[in-house]
This record gives sequence, C-alpha cells and structure tokens, in this order.
Amino acid sequence: MIDSLGRVPVSAPALDVRRLTKRYDDGTVALEDFDLTIPEGMFFGLLGPNGAGKTTLINAVCNLIRITAGDVRVFGEPGSSLLARSWVGLAEQDINLDRFLTVEETLVYHGGWFGMTKHDAERRAAEMIDVFDLRAKSDVRTPKLSGGMRRRLLLARALMHRPRLVILDEPTASVDFELRQELWRYIRRLHEKGTTILLTTHYLEEAEALCEEIALIRAGRLIARDTASGLRRAYTADSLTEVYVKAMHEQPCPVEEAAA
Amino acid sequence: MSQTVSLTGNRGLLWLARRETLRVWKLWTQTVLAPIVASSLFIVVFGFSLSGRIRHIDGFPYREFIVPGLITMAMVQAAYSNNSSSVFQARSDRYINDVLSAPMRSWQMNLGYNIGGVLRALAIGAGLAAVAVPITGVPVREPLVLVPAVAFGLMLFSALGTIVGIYAETFDHHTFVNNIVILPLVFVGGVFYSVSRLPSPWHELSHVNPIFYLVSAVRYGFLGTADASVALSVGVTAALAIPAYLWAQWLFTSGRKLKA
Repeated sequence: MIDSLGRVPVSAPALDVRRLTKRYDDGTVALEDFDLTIPEGMFFGLLGPNGAGKTTLINAVCNLIRITAGDVRVFGEPGSSLLARSWVGLAEQDINLDRFLTVEETLVYHGGWFGMTKHDAERRAAEMIDVFDLRAKSDVRTPKLSGGMRRRLLLARALMHRPRLVILDEPTASVDFELRQELWRYIRRLHEKGTTILLTTHYLEEAEALCEEIALIRAGRLIARDTASGLRRAYTADSLTEVYVKAMHEQPCPVEEAAA
Repeated sequence: MSQTVSLTGNRGLLWLARRETLRVWKLWTQTVLAPIVASSLFIVVFGFSLSGRIRHIDGFPYREFIVPGLITMAMVQAAYSNNSSSVFQARSDRYINDVLSAPMRSWQMNLGYNIGGVLRALAIGAGLAAVAVPITGVPVREPLVLVPAVAFGLMLFSALGTIVGIYAETFDHHTFVNNIVILPLVFVGGVFYSVSRLPSPWHELSHVNPIFYLVSAVRYGFLGTADASVALSVGVTAALAIPAYLWAQWLFTSGRKLKA
C-alpha cells in the first residue's frame, strides 16, 4: 500500500508471492502453492532445470500469464496493478524484439508505453544505447542485429524505464564471455544503487558470484533457499554445482527432511 | 534512482497507436499504395470498360456507381488485414509481451492496436477517393452519413482483425478469414451491381450479408441513394461493430489467448 505522501513503506518486499498456483490449459501444473519473498535491494538467484517453473513464476510477476490461484505483490502492490507493472523490468529468456523497429525505436517505444515523455524516452534511450555499446547500430532494425547485440538490446529495454525490480531470465544464454562480463558489471552497478535483481541462470558459477541469496526450484516447488555458502553447508557440498546436482537429482531437500 | 512514470494519462495508448501507425508508414508501398493502385485498376477496367454496356444503375453512370463499393472493399480489407497480421506477428514473435507487461489499461491496448488498422484504411480510402472522384466525377452527397458508416465499418473490421490476430495459430488462419469469408461477402455485397436487380432468392439472400449494409451505407454517403434504407444500413453495421469491438476488448481484459 502507498501512504498518504505517496511513499511505499520500506518494509514492503520487492516481491512477495503467496500460494501461487499455475495450471495451464493442458492440465500441466507449473507451480503449486508457491511462496517466495525477495526483500528490496537484494540480488536474488532462482535456479532449477528447464520446466521447473522459473519462467512461469516470472510471467506471473510480469502479468504475462493468468494465474490459477494465489497472490503476487510487487513492493506491496498487487502484481497486476499499473503501479506494480511500472516498477518491473523484464529481460525475457527468448529474444522477443519488434522486427519493425530499429534499436533506438525499440527503446523509445518501450519507454512510451511505460509512460515516459518523448523527450525523456529519447534521452534515456541514448543513455542505454551508450551503456550497452549499441551506438553504431542505433538505426538498424532488430532482425539485422547479431545475437549478442539483440541480447544487449533486450537488457537495455528491460532497464529503459528505470525499474525498481529487474527480472533477468537467463540473460547470458548464448552470450560470449566478454559480453557476459560487461553485462554483469553493469548489473552489479545497478544493484549497488539499490535496484532489486531477480536472476535465473544455468551458469551456477555466475549465480554463486553474483547472488546474495539463491532459491532452488524443482517441479514447481521451492526446495531450498539460502546464501550460496548456506546451501553448500546444508547439502554438505563443496560447490553450488554439487548442491544443484544433489538437490535436483539425488537428495530430498534437507529442510524438508528436517521438517518431516 | 527509479523514476516515477506517468500512469494516469494516455501516453502508453498514444505510443502504441503511433507504433501501429509507424508500421504502416514503414511499409507504405505495400500497406497503402498497393491497395490504392489495385482498386484504381478496378475502377478503370470495370468502370470504363463496362460503362459502354451498363449505361446507368439507379440513375448513375456505372463508373460512378462502383466507386463507393470499391472504396469500402479496399478499406475493410486493409483494416482487417492490418490488425490481424500486426497482432498475430506480435504474438508469434512474442514482442506483444512488452505491451502486455506495460502499465497500460486493457482498453488502451485494445484501442491502440485498433487505431493502426483504422488509420491505414482511412489513408487508403482518402487516397482512392482522391483518384476516383476526379476520374469518375462521383459526388459526395451525404457526408454526414458517410462519416458514421465509415466509422462503424472500420470499427467492425479493425476489431475483427484484432480478434483473428489473437485467435490465429498460424498465418494461414488470417488469410483464410480474408479470402474465404471477407472477400466473397464483399463481392456479393453489391459492390459491382445493385442488389435490387437480383432475382429471388439472391435478392433476399443478399440481405443476410452484413457487408451489403455497409456498402449500402457508404454508397448512400456518396450518391445519396442505395439499395437499403440508410438507417437500417448504418444500424446493422453499428450492431455488428460494437459487439466485435467489445469481443476484442474482452480478450485484452481477460487475457484469453494472449496470456497462457
């Protein structure tokens, strides 16, 4: 909720998901009674195999699926509200750029439908174009960009309207090493300034190096959540990779065992 | 750091409408010029070649008589195909997610997508009139009838295009509706002949064709006379346009077929 001065209380988590269930039309249950809370300002990692429910969760937060049951709140606001939507920036796993627009237009139009004025959108787009080294391609239509350039543009678009919660769904998939390092430098700086980051990735070393907390998700359920070192301790593992392998293939979650 | 974006106005709607219009102008030879040239050829070929055999219909030279129907045909096809292809493409490439996740109301999304088809159809209608009026000398006797007739006609076919764009699973579905439903109904809707001259039962059957009423209303706007009464013609067109628009609105509001 917003107070009388239009401020959001600091106690509202960046993301608060309660008993979220998503059953697709074909009967597949992607998430069931899923709970997740991410405090404001956290760099949070979500790990799990393909089909675990990560993208479904992200789509539920970003108003891209019809949820079956449960509640999603973004900084205390219902996830479907205009305010909540204005606070979230999403870089999807798949490249989904408008084929009719140039790089600059992609950013300016995105800013437009997130409520920015033409002047603000153009200024911010120029800034994003420089940050993501897209200047030479700013007038090029998106289908003519290389894979790396498209990935940069996706990230630039997600950050265009200065979101408070940035959701990155496997942002470095098929991205070369140099660009990956460059992207993470920028995302780290963004996080240092207070932006909450929710990251899904298959690069476990990335998650370990970047994320303050990590959640493991399997078959639509949260099976563990802790810092990287906490997870290693809980699973008596030497690395996050070992944690992941044990969690996904071998062992039930130690937390579940303890609860039983 | 995070900037408060405007959530109260219609900035998102205007940007979406602008994007839909930009697409039309970027492809103007295909989206605007080609239909004008094609319909102009109909006027020249049919109007002038047949005017030796068919001297007058309802007191008007044949070349004048066919102009309102040809303009109607070009406009409804443009309104339909623009929206069905634009929305289908956005869904297929998934860049519609950028709009669906934006802080825009569902009515703004619906209106924004529909405006593209309406403006393209108006550009074609105006262009074709600019060619046809000097060539054939067709009058515009009832502009006050022409305005609501065109408005409801474009509302109907833009909305139909949006609906098909949302439901279509392949590009063939979009062309199927155009080629198997709209085009035949336009041709038997009295574009090239007066329905009153048809023998029974074709005369009666023509009155079941909704496009007959639209052609009739537009013809009345130009010539001041038509096969059906002007009130009935505009009324039937409006009675179809309003539910079609509301259907498209329901799809955006519910997320049906747009969100999994």
